[in-house]
Amino acid sequence: MGTNTLERVAVVASAQTTLRESWSSLQHVDLIGSAVSSALRGTGLRMQDVDVVIDCGSDVLDGRSISNCGFLGAMGAHHKEESRVEEDGLFGALYGTTKVASGSASVALIVAYSKPSESSVSAYYSTLTDPFYQRALGLDHVGAAGLMANQYLTTSDADEEALLRIAAEAWRKAGNNPWVETATVPTLADIESSPYVADPVRGLQLSRPVDGAVAVLLATEQVAHRLTERPVWITGMGTAMESHFLADRKPGELEACQAAAAMATRRAGISDVGSFGLAEVSGTSAAGEAMVVEALGLAHRGRAVDCYEDGASVSVNPSGGALPADPIMATGLVRLHEAAARLAGRLGDEAATTALVHGAGGLGMQNHCVFTLEV
Amino acid sequence: MRNVAIVGAGQTHHARRRTDVSQIGLAREAVTRALEDAELTMDDIDSVVVCTGPVLFAAVNQPEKWLVDAIGARLKPVVRVTSGGGTGLAGALAAVNQVRAGFADRVLVVAYDKLSEGALQYSISTLYDPFWGREFAVGIMGFSAAYWRARIDALGHSEEAAAQVAVKNRKNAMLNPYAHVKKPVTVEDVLNSRPLCWPIKLLDVPPISDGACAVVLASEDAAKTATDPAWIRGMAYYSEAENAAHRSMVQSEPLTIAAGRVYQQAGITNPRRQVDVVEVQEPYTCFELSYYEGLGLCAPGGAADLISSGATEMDGDIPVNPSGGCMGANPIGATALIRLAEIAQQVRGRAGDHQISDARTGLMQAGGGWANLRGVAVVSNTKG
Amino acid sequence: MSDSLLTGIDDAQVLDANIALPYTLTTGRAAGTFLAGLGDKRILASRCDTCARTMTPAQDYCNRCGEPSGEFLSMPETGTVTAITRTESVTLALIRIDGSDTDLMHRLSSGGPAADVGTRVRAVWADTPTQSMLDLDCFTPDDSGAEPGTPSPTGDIEPITEIPYAIDLAYRHSYGPHYGRLFDELATRRRILGSKCPQCRNVLVPPREFCDICFVRTAQHVDVADTGVLQAFSIIHMEFVGQTRKPPYVYAEIVLDGSATRLIHTVGGHDVDTLKERLSIGMPVRAVWKDAADTRGTLDDIDHFAPVFEQLP
Repeated sequence: MGTNTLERVAVVASAQTTLRESWSSLQHVDLIGSAVSSALRGTGLRMQDVDVVIDCGSDVLDGRSISNCGFLGAMGAHHKEESRVEEDGLFGALYGTTKVASGSASVALIVAYSKPSESSVSAYYSTLTDPFYQRALGLDHVGAAGLMANQYLTTSDADEEALLRIAAEAWRKAGNNPWVETATVPTLADIESSPYVADPVRGLQLSRPVDGAVAVLLATEQVAHRLTERPVWITGMGTAMESHFLADRKPGELEACQAAAAMATRRAGISDVGSFGLAEVSGTSAAGEAMVVEALGLAHRGRAVDCYEDGASVSVNPSGGALPADPIMATGLVRLHEAAARLAGRLGDEAATTALVHGAGGLGMQNHCVFTLEV
Repeated sequence: MRNVAIVGAGQTHHARRRTDVSQIGLAREAVTRALEDAELTMDDIDSVVVCTGPVLFAAVNQPEKWLVDAIGARLKPVVRVTSGGGTGLAGALAAVNQVRAGFADRVLVVAYDKLSEGALQYSISTLYDPFWGREFAVGIMGFSAAYWRARIDALGHSEEAAAQVAVKNRKNAMLNPYAHVKKPVTVEDVLNSRPLCWPIKLLDVPPISDGACAVVLASEDAAKTATDPAWIRGMAYYSEAENAAHRSMVQSEPLTIAAGRVYQQAGITNPRRQVDVVEVQEPYTCFELSYYEGLGLCAPGGAADLISSGATEMDGDIPVNPSGGCMGANPIGATALIRLAEIAQQVRGRAGDHQISDARTGLMQAGGGWANLRGVAVVSNTKG
Repeated sequence: MSDSLLTGIDDAQVLDANIALPYTLTTGRAAGTFLAGLGDKRILASRCDTCARTMTPAQDYCNRCGEPSGEFLSMPETGTVTAITRTESVTLALIRIDGSDTDLMHRLSSGGPAADVGTRVRAVWADTPTQSMLDLDCFTPDDSGAEPGTPSPTGDIEPITEIPYAIDLAYRHSYGPHYGRLFDELATRRRILGSKCPQCRNVLVPPREFCDICFVRTAQHVDVADTGVLQAFSIIHMEFVGQTRKPPYVYAEIVLDGSATRLIHTVGGHDVDTLKERLSIGMPVRAVWKDAADTRGTLDDIDHFAPVFEQLP
C-alpha cells in the first residue's frame, strides 16, 4: 500500500468458535454472534464503534439466498455499512483493509462462517463449475484435489511419502490446537492406511469440512495504538484468480498464488519470504498445501515437505492449517486470526514478529489471497 | 482521501431473453463497451469486482469464477461482492475503496444477471428463513406490495401517484437505446392493469431482463488521461437488520442514513437544488415515491405531489430516471450499476437522446434484500 | 445466556429443506457448437488467432488473451492422458487431444485396462445423444498404435442454444437453542415465543440470541400473544412455482401483542374482496389455529389470522 497519506491498518482483535465437524445444536446466527462478541470482548470497543461489517458466507452452503440478510443482527451490522464478499474470508479482510486504509472507516469488522454439516459440500463445489463442460462429468472438490495431486506428483520430485508427512504434521499440530475439535489425532500410519478418495489423495489428506465462525477487527493506527500495545500491522496484500477450467491451469503449480504472493510482498517491501516468522496457509489437500507453500516461495518446487522438518526457517501452519479443519468460507480468515493472535502474543509467548497468511477460494483453489503481517 | 473517477461505462442492449450469448458472454459485452468508452484495454486494469444477484438466479455458484477467462482477467485480482438487488453499487463501493486505499489504480466493475435462465420469484422466495416464513413466501413482490399498502395510508403514496411513475419512466425508456421495454402507457392503463400482488399491478412492475453493465473507476492520477471523468463525490451502502424491533415500514432508515452520509461527503445541503439528475432503482413504481422522500427531494408525504407536479420529468427541475429506470430494463444484479453508469454518462455529457442538458451533478440510489439494503452515490463533473 | 451455549449437547433434530429450481441455460456459441458436435460424434476445438492456440473443448473466448475465438476445428478422437484420478464414483482425466494446445477434462472408462499419465486413449460415444458433455460417454485406453489424426475444418454446425437444467439442493437446518424451544412450544402448547432484550426491553419474535439493535445477548424467553396488529398486507393474485397457497389470498405482516417484530403469515376468514375493502393498517388480528390433530409444530399450525372487525370504532 503505497503512499504515506494512507492510513496504516492493524488487526486489533480476533476470535473464532471451536471448529468441529458439526455444530448441530447451533444455528449460523449463534456461531456468528459468538465469534463477533468474543472478538469485541476485552478490547474496549463496543459495537457502536464499528463502522463497517464485511461478511463472507455462501448462499449455496447456507441454503438461503442473500443469507447475510438473515444474519445482520448477529453480525452487529444493523444501520452500518455492510457488504458480502462471497468468497473465502481473507478476501473480506482485504475489502475491510482498503476501507480503513482509505480513511472511510476507523474500525472494520470482518466475519466469515460456514456450516457445511447442513448441506452437501460436493454440491457446493460442483455448482461452482461451468454448467456445460465440467459439471456433467461429476467433478467436485474431491476429484479436483485428486487431479491436482496427480499433476503435482507427476511434474515434481515430490512423492507420496512427502504428502503423508505434510498431512501427519497438520493433524499433529491441530491436536495441540484447542480450537480444532478432533476425536482422535490420526498418525502417519493412520493416514497411510486411509483409503484413497481420489488417488493419490487419501481420505485423511483431504481437507476436513467443519462448522465454525471467525471474526476479525481491523482499525486505523490511531485506534490500534489506543487499544493494544501490540497492534499487528497489515503490511501487504495481494490476490489473483486462476483460469476457471482445471484443465487450463499450469500442472503442479499455482500461478495465481504466486501472483498474489508477489503482489503482497512487493507492497510490503519484502524480498526474502524465508524471513517470515510464521506462515498460515490454506490447502484443500496435502498436495494442495504443498503447492501453496511452494507458490508462496517458502520452498523450492517439489520440496514443500522441507518446511515441515524440525528446524525449518519458517513455521508453517502452527495451528494445523486447513487440512484438519476447513470451515470453507472462513478458512482464510481463520488463518489471519491464528497468525495475528500469535504475533500479538494472544496465544502465548511468540517469538515471531512477521507472518505470511494465505486463503483460497473456488474449485481447486482458483482464487488466492495473501496478506503479510508485522508487529 | 484520494479522488476517484468513473472514466468509462458500458452496458448491453438488455432483452427479455438473450439466446445468442451465455451468462459470461453477456457480461463480456458490457466489459468490452466500458473499456472502449474509457479508451483502455484489460491490460490497463489492475483489479476486477464482479456483481450478480443471488446465485440461485442462474444456477452458477460464485459465477465470477466462470467469468474470469471470458474477460481476460486471469491472474488479476477478481472478487465478487453480493448484496441483493443493490449489488452493483455495493461492488462499485468496494472498487472505490480499492482505489482510495491505493490497492489499485484502475478497477473494472462488472455487474450482470441473466434472469431468463431461472424461475425468478421462486428463487427470490429462498430469501425467507426456512424455519420462519418460507412457507408463506411470496417472492419479493408480495412484501413490497405490503409495504406500499402501509405507505398509502401513512404517506398518501396512492395507486394514481405510482401510476404516474410508470407513465414517466416508460416514456423516458423510449429514448434509451439499451432499454427493451419501449411502450408508452397512461395512468388509466396502469390502474386497469391486472393485479399481481395488489396494490402492485402488472404495469407497476419492471420487466425481467438479461443484461450487464460495466464501469471503469480510476484514481486521480490514472484519470489524467481521461477526457471527461465523472468524479465520485460520495458513496455509501447501509444495511438494516430485517426483523429488528420496530423496523419502519414507512420510511427506509438505511436510505436516510446513506443519503445523509453521501450528502455530507459531497457537500450537498439541498439535493433538490444542487442535483441536476437522479437515477433510482425502482423494483416497483411505489418505491420511486418512497425514494423521493428518503433522498430528501421532498418532505415525507410529499412524493405524490412531487410526481404530479412534473418536477421529476425529463424537463422538470429534478429529473428522475431519464433512462427509464428499471421500467425499461431490469437485469437485477446489473441494475444498480446501470443507475451509476447512467448518472456518470449524464455528467460526462454522454447520455445520448436522454441527456439532461447541463447536467453537472448526478445522484443515484440502489438497494435490495428485504428492502433493508440501501445505497446512494453522487457524481459530478468536477472534483469538488 | 453465556458462551456456555457453545458447549451445548448436540441436537439431532433438524429441519429438512430442499431448494429445487428449474432452469433453461444458454450455452453461447462455442459450448452450443461443441455440444452439437458431440451429438454428431465429433470433438470440436476453437482457435485463438491472437495466441495461435487450439482450444479443446471449444471456447468463445481465449482463456489466455480473452479475445473471441475464430473458426471451429474438428479434432481427432484420440489423445494422451496428462492427469488422472479415480474417485468413488468416476475416473476423471485431463486429456490432450491430438493437435490441441489445451487439455480436455473427461471421464475414463471404469473397466478395461488401467490408464495412467501418458496412456493413449480414444473416445467412446454414448448410444443416444442428450445434448450433454456425456454424449461423449468416456475415453478408453487405445493400444491400436494408430498414427495421431489431425484437426480439420468443421463446416457448418448448428449450435444447441438452450439446455434444460435443474438444481436440487438438500439441507438439514439446525434448530439451535432458540428455534428448538420456539417450535417445541408451538407444538406442545400452541404458544409463540419471543426473546427479550435486557437493554431495550423489546421482545423479539422469533427468539434470537442477540438483539439486532443493541447487540447484547437476550436474557429470557417470553410468551407473546396469538393476537396482534396488521402492520402491512397485500393481496396475492400471482401464481408462481413453489407457492404453497392457492391465489388469491392475503399476505400479511403482523406484530403480535407483546412483541416488537413482524411475523409473516396470511389473513383469511373472509373472501378476498371483503378483506381488500375492510382491512387496514393497525387493525387487530387473531390467530386461527388448525385442528389440534393436525399440529406439526410450525407456523402452518396457524391456519390464518382473522381480522377483528368488531373492535373497530
